[in-house]
Amino acid sequence: MGAAGSKLEKALGDQFPEGERYFGLENFGNTCYCNSVLQALYFCVPFREQLLEYYSSNKSFADAEENLLTCLADLFTQITSQKKKTGVIAPKRFVQRLKKQNEIFRSYMHQDAHEFLNYLLNELVDILEKESRAAKSDPESCSSSEQIPNGIKTSHMNGHVREPLITWVHKNFQGILTNETRCLRCETVTARDETFLDLSLDIEQNTSITSCLKNFSSTETLNAEDKFFCDKCCSLQEAQKRMKIKKPPQILVIHLKRFKYIEQLGRYKKLSYRVVFPLELKLSNTVEDTDAEYSLFAVVVHVGSGPNHGHYVSLVKSHNHWLFFDDENVEMIDESAVQTFFGSAQEYSSNTDHGYILFYERVDVGNTS
Amino acid sequence: MPKLPFTKEKLPSQSVHPQTNTSNFKDQRISLLILLRIDLDFGNSAMHRVGSAGNTSNSVRARKEKRLTYVLTDADDTKVQHCAGVNSLALRKSSAPDNCSYLFTGSRDGRLKRWEVSENSATCSATFESHVDWVNDAVLVGENTLVSCSSDTTVKTWDCFSDGTCTGTFRQHTDYVTCLASAERNGNIVASGGLGGEVFIWDLEGALAPLTKSNEGDDDCSNGINGSFPVTSLRTISSSNSISSHTNQPQGYVPVVAKGHKESVYALAMNDSGTLLVSGGTEKAVRVWDSRTGSKTMKLRGHTDNVRALLLDSTGRFCLSGSSDSMIRLWDLGQQRCVHSYAVHMDSVWALASTPSFSHVYSGGRDLSLYLTDLATRESILLCTREHPIQKLALHDDGIWVATTDSSVHRWPIEDQNPQQVFQRGGSFLAGNLSFSRARASLEGSTPVPVYREPTLTVEGIPGIVQHEILNNRRHVLTKDNGGSVKLWEITKGVVIQDYGKVSFEKKKEELFEMVSIPAWFTVDSRLGSLSVHLDTPQCFSAEMYAIDLNITEKAEDDKINLARETLKGLLAHWLAKKKVKYGSQPLANGEVTSVRDRDISVITEGSQGGQWRRKITELDGVEDEEFPWWVLDCVLHNRLPPRENTKCSFYLQPYEGSALQILTQGKLSAPRILRIHKVVNYVVEKMVVEKPLDSLINDAGGQLPLPFVGDGSFKSMGLKPWQKLKPSVEILCNNQVLNPEMSLATVRTYIWKKTEDLPLHTHTQGRYIYIYILS
Repeated sequence: MGAAGSKLEKALGDQFPEGERYFGLENFGNTCYCNSVLQALYFCVPFREQLLEYYSSNKSFADAEENLLTCLADLFTQITSQKKKTGVIAPKRFVQRLKKQNEIFRSYMHQDAHEFLNYLLNELVDILEKESRAAKSDPESCSSSEQIPNGIKTSHMNGHVREPLITWVHKNFQGILTNETRCLRCETVTARDETFLDLSLDIEQNTSITSCLKNFSSTETLNAEDKFFCDKCCSLQEAQKRMKIKKPPQILVIHLKRFKYIEQLGRYKKLSYRVVFPLELKLSNTVEDTDAEYSLFAVVVHVGSGPNHGHYVSLVKSHNHWLFFDDENVEMIDESAVQTFFGSAQEYSSNTDHGYILFYERVDVGNTS
Repeated sequence: MPKLPFTKEKLPSQSVHPQTNTSNFKDQRISLLILLRIDLDFGNSAMHRVGSAGNTSNSVRARKEKRLTYVLTDADDTKVQHCAGVNSLALRKSSAPDNCSYLFTGSRDGRLKRWEVSENSATCSATFESHVDWVNDAVLVGENTLVSCSSDTTVKTWDCFSDGTCTGTFRQHTDYVTCLASAERNGNIVASGGLGGEVFIWDLEGALAPLTKSNEGDDDCSNGINGSFPVTSLRTISSSNSISSHTNQPQGYVPVVAKGHKESVYALAMNDSGTLLVSGGTEKAVRVWDSRTGSKTMKLRGHTDNVRALLLDSTGRFCLSGSSDSMIRLWDLGQQRCVHSYAVHMDSVWALASTPSFSHVYSGGRDLSLYLTDLATRESILLCTREHPIQKLALHDDGIWVATTDSSVHRWPIEDQNPQQVFQRGGSFLAGNLSFSRARASLEGSTPVPVYREPTLTVEGIPGIVQHEILNNRRHVLTKDNGGSVKLWEITKGVVIQDYGKVSFEKKKEELFEMVSIPAWFTVDSRLGSLSVHLDTPQCFSAEMYAIDLNITEKAEDDKINLARETLKGLLAHWLAKKKVKYGSQPLANGEVTSVRDRDISVITEGSQGGQWRRKITELDGVEDEEFPWWVLDCVLHNRLPPRENTKCSFYLQPYEGSALQILTQGKLSAPRILRIHKVVNYVVEKMVVEKPLDSLINDAGGQLPLPFVGDGSFKSMGLKPWQKLKPSVEILCNNQVLNPEMSLATVRTYIWKKTEDLPLHTHTQGRYIYIYILS
């Protein structure tokens, strides 16, 4: 492992970024799903910085119970505080905590990286919300919420109705989709908003992210037995429904639905379709007229031909260099190598390394709110 | 025998409560604890299943039994007025010296009307009522045939100068029929288009031919049909005649199918000779068909949204289209291309009308505006702007009829002979050829001033209902109409009982909140601009009330009245009376009260031969036995109700914890869900008297218990004062709340018991328990 580190250091030479650390992560038996996502998150610089900042500014953590947030922060701190510039770290506590907390990840089976990312982000949000609530209700007496009978707005106990709290995780990853339904008779548009932490896109052979996003926002017609009840018409009418991005997130995470359930086979199949993901992406299906511009900084790659086996690696862009993280190993790659992970136009190809989760960071800073 | 409000059942448990000292009556408050067990689950889910989420119009397939619907209107005026938006217009100009023209309107209220129009008046001379959903379009064909199409998936033909005679019903469509087209010089051909891409071309002579002969002797409505007439053929009948006769598809006739439309059709047009048909819809393209064969001839692309209006010139060479992309396009079918596009409107174009020479086009749409555009010079002018989107236009000499989503129709002036003249008034502009919003905004900064301010003639309609809420008592429905008026309806009688005027609907709703729980026995919708009340068996029979609460004086006050039965009997009173006269028999032994007024109420249901029908209750002629669902007949003729879910509620009565009162009864009690708490009080008091020495009770209660009260538990037989006149000295509690004596057991269950759900005590048993404390 020392050799790998030194090799990378040699390759970068005096271009090695100041203060940056490139460490491989040890695999504890099929934990590559976790390692690949952790690397992508680590090199999501705003996320890393805010996590460490939150961690250091909340001293009470020391005595607080261990959770995924503290484990993740510990791991990131461990990496950043390494004396060596390269090497290998064992994310032992984090993986243990993850397995303890969620039985899905407990087995040594192959896991889905997207499922893990989704779980992790939602878990972080939950922890932050819980802490913020605890901090808020601390000054008052704890029983105050219980004294309100049948409180609808303060039903903390059920947790069903919560004041939406915008945590720093939200600030990084959360976007807002709007679901627009237009009655085809009176042409009144009703809109409903929903938030997302990542976008899951259906894919087709020989397409691009841009066209997948277009399909994502394409119009669906509610008709025949599935008509829309229009409040204006007071009756069931045909309607067109479509999803638009109302608020583009700071970090856009795109999940390509490469694992598809094939009814005839009765199982999931991996789609090795060629889906081009550009280094610079423009989101045009937004509600606002201006396009949101993004730059690719990490790709979680699934290696293998099937959904239940295989391997995860990640490609990360750090300080204008592209790096290849494969568990313990870290290598430098050329930017042009990224396109070898688009997928294959033929069904049976020897290349089974396919981009699976894409991490884009917003670049048009002027437009951010 | 004293009439007990509830009966004793065999008990599941003997003693759940601690032994109490019977002699300790020293406390001021003596308490009883009543343990109430509810065997039924809350909120009977089966009752909410049907008709929820507004899915009331097209759910025939999902229902097991046929539904009965009645449509209520708050006026007798629907005889002369529409009560919902007008979707279609058709005009028959005068040819005779009487100089009277006829305007036909088809409305979302499901009716068509014929208006006799003179220079400054329009009077309704006939109502065509048979459709059970929106009338979407209507055209005149030949000498005297009116053809209409509806969201009820049918196309109907009418004798347009009759009193409302439906001459045929075509059931070829499987989804809403949205549009029709007829040919100026071919009185036989009609095309219908609908959702799902269905387009049919009908030869009316072929479709109606076999029946014209058989109807001659049928003009007398009273001897028309006796249930055994052949329904295989279609025939002309008067509107008050049999319903079945126009429920059937003419057999042996199949229309020409214009096959190949991939998506829903929203517009049609035909040339004068009827050889050419154009269609438009969500495909965004204009399709051209040979209407004789149904074969496609071309597809014209250019619009970027739904095509909502089409016109063909008399030769069939030019076609005009109006689209939701806000554009009007002129197509040269000979060259198969778009020769002009006009950016005139600010929003979707929904209606077009052209001058006979096809030199100018009138257009209206979602932007509430009517424009005139010169097709050659592209000069355009705003004629008028009103409050509602324009749905249909019809030219009439020096006027143009404009139908909107409102129930009124207006006539605006036009320069009939020389449309060009209106441009001289100023305010015209050149239509751009790019999608409007940009083209026109750059052309001029402000909105143009309309040429006309007021219509020359208005055919008034009644504001339709646009919002409704069923109140908790399940008899009252609060509605708001298009004009903003809020009204309260009593749906078992079919009348408005309160008109609040223009007030906040939401506030009124809150104000009228009542803490009562009655099963959802009906559903309503307001798509016809009126209240449609839907009854489905068996859940419609789930609600009962005491006679006294319904102010039915001729019955014992605690007789239970089934709301649906009362309503049905009221609705069909007219029919029953006629039936009685007709057959000389007595269909009903008892003299039930007619609870539904002889108002403008229509019933809609499905006949034995399939197909829905609609008719005014006063026009039912007493012979439609086969046309009503069996359960309706069972109810009104034989007084039989379908087996229902248990309308009873079981519970325990126990003394209040720590009270000195003796346990009244240890068994489970059972009573109707509608039983009022004061009856329980009566029962308790009676039990106390029977099972305890009277004087001890009086003594210990400090002489507060008056003697008449003692007998009150059996007040019925003893003729004593009713409970209300006495001060209650026994209180019943549930979940630590004193229960209002007016509450029913069902209400207690819904509103009081509900809150105790979380108590761990109750979760371990299958049944649910309510503690009722009695204080005396």
